[in-house]
Amino acid sequence: MVTQYGIKLGVHLMTNQFGNIVAKVCESLLRRGPLTLQLIVRFTELTPQQVKSSLLILIQHNCVQAFSLEQQDGLEDGPKANTQYLALFNNILHRMRFSKFLKIVSSEFDECKELLEGLLQHGRLTLKQMVEREREKSSKKDGNCEDIVQENLLKLLAARYVERCPIHEPVLATPVKDETTAKRRGAKSSKRNEESETIEQRVLGAAAPMDAQRFSIITNTGSNVSRETSVGEKRKYDALELDRESAVEEEEVVLLRANFEEFMCRLRHKACIENVRTRLDDGASIVLRAMLEAVRSLEKRVKTEKSVPLSLNTIFEEVMNSEEGRGMTLDRVRASLVQLGCSSSARGTDESYSIDLKKIVELAQNDEVESIVLKRYGRNAYKMFRLLSKTGCLVETEKISDTTFVEKKEAPKMLFKLWSDGYLHMEKITVAAARQSQFLLWKVNKPSLQEHVLDEMFHAALNLSKRVAYEREKEKELINLPADKQVMSREERHKRRRNVAFVLESSLRELDDAVMLFHDFEEPSLLKA
Amino acid sequence: MSRLQGPSSHKRKQPEPNSASGSLTEHERILYHVIKSKQNMGIWTRDMKWETKLPDYVVVKSLKSLQAKKLIKEVVNVQNKGRKHYIAAEFEPSKEITGGTWYAGGNLDTEFINFLQKHCVKIIYEQKVATLEGILDTIRRSRAFNVEFTPQQIEEIVNALVLDNEITEVESNGMGEFDSIPVGTVCYMCTNKGGRKGEPKIGAMASIPCGVCPQISLCTPDGIISPQTCVHFTKWLDF
Ligand code: SF4
Repeated sequence: MVTQYGIKLGVHLMTNQFGNIVAKVCESLLRRGPLTLQLIVRFTELTPQQVKSSLLILIQHNCVQAFSLEQQDGLEDGPKANTQYLALFNNILHRMRFSKFLKIVSSEFDECKELLEGLLQHGRLTLKQMVEREREKSSKKDGNCEDIVQENLLKLLAARYVERCPIHEPVLATPVKDETTAKRRGAKSSKRNEESETIEQRVLGAAAPMDAQRFSIITNTGSNVSRETSVGEKRKYDALELDRESAVEEEEVVLLRANFEEFMCRLRHKACIENVRTRLDDGASIVLRAMLEAVRSLEKRVKTEKSVPLSLNTIFEEVMNSEEGRGMTLDRVRASLVQLGCSSSARGTDESYSIDLKKIVELAQNDEVESIVLKRYGRNAYKMFRLLSKTGCLVETEKISDTTFVEKKEAPKMLFKLWSDGYLHMEKITVAAARQSQFLLWKVNKPSLQEHVLDEMFHAALNLSKRVAYEREKEKELINLPADKQVMSREERHKRRRNVAFVLESSLRELDDAVMLFHDFEEPSLLKA
Repeated sequence: MSRLQGPSSHKRKQPEPNSASGSLTEHERILYHVIKSKQNMGIWTRDMKWETKLPDYVVVKSLKSLQAKKLIKEVVNVQNKGRKHYIAAEFEPSKEITGGTWYAGGNLDTEFINFLQKHCVKIIYEQKVATLEGILDTIRRSRAFNVEFTPQQIEEIVNALVLDNEITEVESNGMGEFDSIPVGTVCYMCTNKGGRKGEPKIGAMASIPCGVCPQISLCTPDGIISPQTCVHFTKWLDF
């Protein structure tokens, strides 16, 4: 979902990091959908050179993907004329999350943190560049550096935190309808959104390296001997083929980057575990964590689309493996599974369980929206909203006030407010015969509500971010004031600045967690466990 | 608090003996007839005038005298408290007029409802897992109320508590805490508030000024209301 304020936030992030010109190019792509170089030049009124270098920066940082369409009319247009550029909204937003990605890696492989930091900072790097970076940082001997980098890189590849970059310019087979016409994204119509998402999915699908290649590097170690490293075990044949291929492709340079998808998957699991901890209890969260761990290690061996049903024994074993879970009994684990709403299916003699993460995400989304309603509109609104959210269908005003014990006079006013703020859907029904001829029916319309709440969250994130910048400016002004005009002492000012930065930045981080809940955790690629 | 201690105020009154109706004037009789024909729904004065075609002052005068003779009574209509609404004395006003059990004198009896709700939460808290019948049974045995509750009334109260997120609805699985409850029965438990007392966990959005700001739709980065000039922010960041 790319909403109006989503675009504004994205553009703001780009401006902060790459300056106005790059942001302008990015904005025109976000608003209009994929464009050719000429069209970007026309829409942004920048020089072709400016646009080109902006695109290079954006591609380097994985914010834009180039692609072209297969020519069908046989016109001898140069391939360049047809190249289109697509802004990758998700990747742009991920830039807010780099600290979270780093935290994940440092908790698992602390020694790899710097490597990932380099990748995040530079977008894409070759092995050679990584080694050079390492060499600059440490004064170690050359050979040593290479080994360290390679070793760490292999760990990150095996954990899928790093991947090969996609193909630079994939060719899409059939022209996508409406491709070149300027398409406004972020418009209210979700149909259009869907359509543009299909283009995005198609492009990304075409650009993605083959699964076997994705998490492997082929390194030519001096003596032209190709060493191939891969996470999969089942591809001896491919490896040979690949080697030959890469030899032909004049020793292709392997560009690597952070694999955002895997990080988002981890963050999603973390969010689910946290939600279960607060909503249910520690036991349930321990069991969920164990299940996700078990699935993860299984996943590494077998590539699964859906969450694998786990046997009670496997789950119990994994729970016992964790420090916090050691004290749990089998009965306790079983009870937690029930609490988690895990559907058990008896296969043979073994009970097996699978997790419905989608459901947990949904509950977490509900919590978030309900808490907004409670804080912004009060308890009565909260009750009525929860009723409508729970029933999921149209309910008449009177019925709402009866069920929630909200005064008959107060109920319609509050419902109306929620409606005008985009939190409820309303329908009028006119009955010709009766005296009270008009009835109002209310409903929570999930998809449009989610889009609305997400847009408000983007808006709030933009506001926080703008305020951070404003506070910095103000600070600068204060410092430059002559001594007799200073209202605060240096220490006071210092303390205030620290507090303000802390509050704003930690709020932004937490708000981004909520954004992910609504924006990223429903991505199809993350729906597998 | 009448329903908590004294006898029920909702006891049906015996119909008045109809002796007085003999001494009615022509207008009074017409009016009384119309009111009575509406049974427990009663009728609004404007509708009476329209139906009887009697002039205003006649209606006002007749209503007074009918009321003095205890043949009709005025009731508060919850739908529209400003409207004068009358009903024949022998009827109890319908649920549509009074608002039902939870209304007293045209107003929601919040004191009574709150008391009953607190009582139910206490029962659920003590029983850990409670069924509707269990709650009703405990209330009946406790004799805290002089009113007999129907299962439906208790269900209404409990449902509202669920919406309030005071309690949570769960289905019995017949294990552990549920072992005495048949599988599939709807049960109630007190809501786990995530550690913090009383209030549910506040979400990320609701913890910042913009999340609860009524002006968010008017606020733009460079507009009159903006994050740079925002008073809510200034207050929030006042260290
Ligand atoms: S910046 Fe201030 S005015 Fe704007 S939405 Fe946030 S709290 Fe409201």
